Amino acid sequence: MTALDLSTGRPARRHSLSLSIGLALVGLNVAVALLTLFWTPYDPLNASGGRLEAPSLLHWVGTDRLGRDYLTQIMIGARTALIVGTGAVAIGASIGVTLGILAAFATRLLDDVMAATLDILIAFPTLLLAMLVVAASDSASLWSATLALGLAISAIVARLTRILAKRVLRQDYIVASRTSGTSWPGVVVRHVLPNIWPTLSVNFALQFGLAVIAEASLSYLGLGAPPPNASWGRLLQEAQGTVYTAPVGAIAPGIALVALVIGMNLLADGLRDVGDPTRGRSR
Amino acid sequence: MSALLSVQGLTVRASGKTLVSDLSFSIGSGERMGLIGESGSGKSMTAMAITGLLPANISVTGSIVLDGQEVVGTEDKRLNRLRGVATAVVFQEPLTALDPLMRIGKQIAEPVRRRLVREQGRATRSAVDREVLDLLDKVALPQPERIANAYPHEVSGGQRQRVAIAMALACRPKLLIADEPTTALDVTTQAEILKLLDGLVRETGMALLFISHDLPVVAEVVERVMVLRDGIALEEGAVVDVFSNPSHDYTQTLVDAARMFDEALGRTGS
Repeated sequence: MTALDLSTGRPARRHSLSLSIGLALVGLNVAVALLTLFWTPYDPLNASGGRLEAPSLLHWVGTDRLGRDYLTQIMIGARTALIVGTGAVAIGASIGVTLGILAAFATRLLDDVMAATLDILIAFPTLLLAMLVVAASDSASLWSATLALGLAISAIVARLTRILAKRVLRQDYIVASRTSGTSWPGVVVRHVLPNIWPTLSVNFALQFGLAVIAEASLSYLGLGAPPPNASWGRLLQEAQGTVYTAPVGAIAPGIALVALVIGMNLLADGLRDVGDPTRGRSR
Repeated sequence: MSALLSVQGLTVRASGKTLVSDLSFSIGSGERMGLIGESGSGKSMTAMAITGLLPANISVTGSIVLDGQEVVGTEDKRLNRLRGVATAVVFQEPLTALDPLMRIGKQIAEPVRRRLVREQGRATRSAVDREVLDLLDKVALPQPERIANAYPHEVSGGQRQRVAIAMALACRPKLLIADEPTTALDVTTQAEILKLLDGLVRETGMALLFISHDLPVVAEVVERVMVLRDGIALEEGAVVDVFSNPSHDYTQTLVDAARMFDEALGRTGS
């Protein structure tokens, strides 16, 4: 982030290539998602051309079975993916970090119970867990899918936070800080969270990518956002019947999905290098 | 006059083993006392017991009265108000005693902020910053602004220990506990840090509990010593008396060992 800082004599943090590519891919996705709030090439809900048109200058990615513009739907799908990914990670992070920190401070017995519960939750396939939550809620919606994925992520985040926080709490600087009168909440805010953040943020980025894939899977199964919300998963499912005659309908949302997930993973990789000030030296 | 710290019959046990047994001593305000013994003699256990920060699986019995407050068996919340006010600690290993991800200035600022709030009811940013640079200057660190902006791994071991001392001083404690503060440093740095600590303690008039295995080091900074072995106090008295005329064989062997070491190094006994 910072250029060469002459006043501190510290070497500038080097941007890694993966961070740049990751930022570009994710940034493009965010830009497109924001754009759809104001403008889309065509009306996403009504036909704007012939059925199953091949890509042309008018319709860059062609049209679907009902003559709707594919590019428009993929762009709106980017918005859906971001909403679900961000929402799920936000839910997962807030519940997970809170539980993880509590477990790190809990008595031995309570900690063991929490650890075992989390292990059982994590052993459940994320998708299955999400399907159960969606099935339990009245109707499939963007929010039930987001909530479901958020809960699944929170178990993973809680387990990671617990282990990381316990490791930090054993460090000498925690005792040193305590001897100068820092309270336990103060220790969590000042030392524990900043020290586990580099690892946690990488995990959040990875979970974001996984949530986007899971949302696509749920939509593919008809458990995600219902129409008219365009979702890459539903686009893939709708294109299934015409995959031989009009393969672009399956390829295009597939590429969008892969690009966002790879972007997020590269971003995670890059964050790992940037997040730790002690790391700059060896590179 | 009641002592600043009064330890009576302190016994520390962990999983059936007695680490410190029936230890009693007291330190008056402004007094400098040394606790000597080899590794595992219970010196550090005693220090941690005074701060009330021993893990829950270690049992502490007896009485520790610090600044009029009983420490043993008192809930953590109340003890926390004592920490930093009555005591502050400088640890052996200066690298691990500093948060690796926090700039040095910020680490010193926190105890400064707490003290200013306590003393004046508020702590403005500029007042805290001024005090932090002042403290860095006081522990003789060059270019305080640069050090304040640096991370712990960017400064040397000796400088880190100076930072740790600045953090302890930031609290303006009545009693400074120095737990082997020079052990992890090389000999020249040791001498500098020792001189610094000695000067600061005399200047501020705070009491000092100096923990070390190194006799000459202890003799330099304290007035009174207590010799510990296997958690038992062997003898206690003025530095001169204990070292020139040890009443216990063990103390004699420690003194002899130190003397032999000095001779081997070609140093003249001081």
